[in-house]
Amino acid sequence: MKWKKLAALALSVGLCFGALTGCGGNQTARNAEGKVLTIGDTTFNSSNEEPDVNPHNAYAGWACIRYGVGETLIRYSDDMEIQPWLAVKWEHTDDLTWKLTLRDDVTFSSGRKMDGAAVKQCLEHLIGVHKRARQDLKIASIEANGQEVTIKTTEPKPALLNYLGDPYGCIIDVDAGFDNGIVAGTGPYVVTDMKPDDHLTLKKNEHYWGGTPKLDKLTIRTITDGNTLANALQSGEVQAAYGMAYESYPLFRNDKYRISQISTSRCFFGKMNFDPDSVCADPAVRKAISMGIDKENFVATLLDGNGYAANGVFPAGSAFGGDKVKAEKYDPEGAKAVLEQAGWADADGDGIREKDGRKLVVKWLTYPSRQELPLLAESAQSTLKDIGIEVDVNNTADHNQVLKDPKKWDVYAMANVQAPTGDPEYWFTVFAVSTATKNQGKYQNAKLDALEQQLSLEFDPARRAELALQMQQIVLDDHAFVFCSFLKMSMISKANVKNYTSHACDYYQVTADLDVE
Amino acid sequence: MSEVTVRVQKVRTASLKRKLIFFGALAGLLVAASFFSSYLCPWDPYEQNLALAKAAPSADHLLGTDRYGRDMLSRVIAGSYTSILSTLLLVAFISVFGSIAGIFCAWSGKRLDTLVMRLADMFLAFPGLVFALAVAAVLGGGVQNAIFALAAISWPKYARLARSQTLAQQELPYMQAARMAGCGTLGLIRRHVVPNIAGPILVTAMLDIGTMMMELAGLSFLGLGAKPPIPEWGSMMSDTRNLLATHPWVTLAPGFAIFVSVMIFNLLGDTVRDWLDPKNRR
Repeated sequence: MKWKKLAALALSVGLCFGALTGCGGNQTARNAEGKVLTIGDTTFNSSNEEPDVNPHNAYAGWACIRYGVGETLIRYSDDMEIQPWLAVKWEHTDDLTWKLTLRDDVTFSSGRKMDGAAVKQCLEHLIGVHKRARQDLKIASIEANGQEVTIKTTEPKPALLNYLGDPYGCIIDVDAGFDNGIVAGTGPYVVTDMKPDDHLTLKKNEHYWGGTPKLDKLTIRTITDGNTLANALQSGEVQAAYGMAYESYPLFRNDKYRISQISTSRCFFGKMNFDPDSVCADPAVRKAISMGIDKENFVATLLDGNGYAANGVFPAGSAFGGDKVKAEKYDPEGAKAVLEQAGWADADGDGIREKDGRKLVVKWLTYPSRQELPLLAESAQSTLKDIGIEVDVNNTADHNQVLKDPKKWDVYAMANVQAPTGDPEYWFTVFAVSTATKNQGKYQNAKLDALEQQLSLEFDPARRAELALQMQQIVLDDHAFVFCSFLKMSMISKANVKNYTSHACDYYQVTADLDVE
Repeated sequence: MSEVTVRVQKVRTASLKRKLIFFGALAGLLVAASFFSSYLCPWDPYEQNLALAKAAPSADHLLGTDRYGRDMLSRVIAGSYTSILSTLLLVAFISVFGSIAGIFCAWSGKRLDTLVMRLADMFLAFPGLVFALAVAAVLGGGVQNAIFALAAISWPKYARLARSQTLAQQELPYMQAARMAGCGTLGLIRRHVVPNIAGPILVTAMLDIGTMMMELAGLSFLGLGAKPPIPEWGSMMSDTRNLLATHPWVTLAPGFAIFVSVMIFNLLGDTVRDWLDPKNRR
């Protein structure tokens, strides 16, 4: 029997040794392929509408620009002000006409020169296939002449340049095709291989107009689970990470890692369902939900202070955000009174209110790739239960599918960059007006729609901000959305990774300067 | 048989009896604790107190608190209700249903026997947890669906066992004698077959409790079992795995509860098997 025990011991030791060696890092900064870097990302996946890097496909433009494949005509400064990028200057010749002059030294990774004709072809393709871009840009015609592009809009479009800076505005070579979501852009990196929901491999663009990129090879790995991402960064499987759970940050607050953090307009908010069968069709329920979420404690504890409580649609610090609008504060007693007054009472004593034989159960839909959204759901579940609302959480990566059926959700909690173009109009046209592309809750307010019409034609920034404030107040008074928190955008990397820096817009990540020592 | 052999046998039997009582008592204690868990929790397992979030174990909170400030000891105790009672329910269901199906197959005609056994083979052909995952994914999350998913893949084992045992019993002379004495089919099954095949089925069921508890926890860990905020050990571990490196007590507490419970039920199963083994009681 003794030899059997010895054999078992040897086997166990061997297994442990194998497991431990498997945990070791196998990536080095420099190997046969030159300088390489692997970034782990929780958000580069189909469920985030980012299945590939084709900017003309849903929200894949975010991946296109984020991973250095594409660039837009204008870019945003750290203060979200418009700056030249592929366009060096622009002129607003009349209310409907914009004239842009392009850089003369840019070629696509396909080898084609980026000129007016290529930009015209790209933008025409974009508005042909991308509904949101079509609604935003309102382009009537485009004319190209050498390095000049003249865009005419169907109506005055004050925010046109802001919209051209949206990731969908990445300028790509349409003639090079859209090979399963792979495109030829003008950025510092070129896609060599892609498997949706798994990885994206890029190599340096040797002919990049902005200087030679520092890395020879860059890999983006889709790692949806925050814990796996933390383990991958610790083991060296990836050397940089985006979308890490805040709970894992203590592991990386030391000399071995760098954390780049910046306040953004990325917001956790809940969208109410106005379907007649939804409990949220009742204004009192919506108001009670808005009053029943403890935002301050959520930010302080569950976000570990990596954000701040939201008031309205936009964060403080802009002319149209912060405390300039009035929103419901956390007030459980007030919420109980609102429900009581609306006839929602707990007749059977089980702690959950009823009305006309219907229990006050809220179907809360959310998704796990933004690591703290499930925490918001469970926090809301507890505080709303205190006021007599039962929350049934559905935390699923399949949220976009569930969202299509209005009977399957009452509140959809999501994360979104509210002003990715530095302008307030974007949020209203995407989420709130009756024709909005992401107004799945079918929220409608005629006054809001009318104000959006005014906003879309208004050139004066001060007046635009004023209109945006009025519109926010309408949305808040209708309790059509509940805004919970704004987040700090954070990216973590090994200490030897240079220039992996967060930007206020959230989608500038990989640049030619990104380096690894 | 020599006197020494008889004495050794007696000592072995007494030792087995002590083990049986000991593990039986422990398992009984666990079941009782899970049944009366709502009275045993020192704090409300559902009540959040974010001011106390992720507190380390202390005199007030022996196992610390989770990220919502909920007392972990209370969550683990409350979780036993879901984890242990669900497992017992599952094992009771699959053993009874599987046995009935097995006896039925052994007694019915060849065509029905073949049909049910091939159906059982189909279920057995799938990798267990993968099939359970698929079933749970189709039905959606929730403890009930997880139990159903595991039941769907686990009953054939009992059906096969009961069938083979019943077929063996059918051939024995006492069964023929009973038939000749005018005993009907139901009477034969109730009076002669069930008592004689109960031992192996009981042993299998006892040994299955630990396995089923692990599988149920596994499904919950993967998000197909209990939904928040219901405390269930597998989902508690899954929900808090981000905290394993920074606040390990939050993840380890339910893990330790699974470990202890599975061990107790496995040891009890082993002891029952030994106790029922005629070689040990000769």
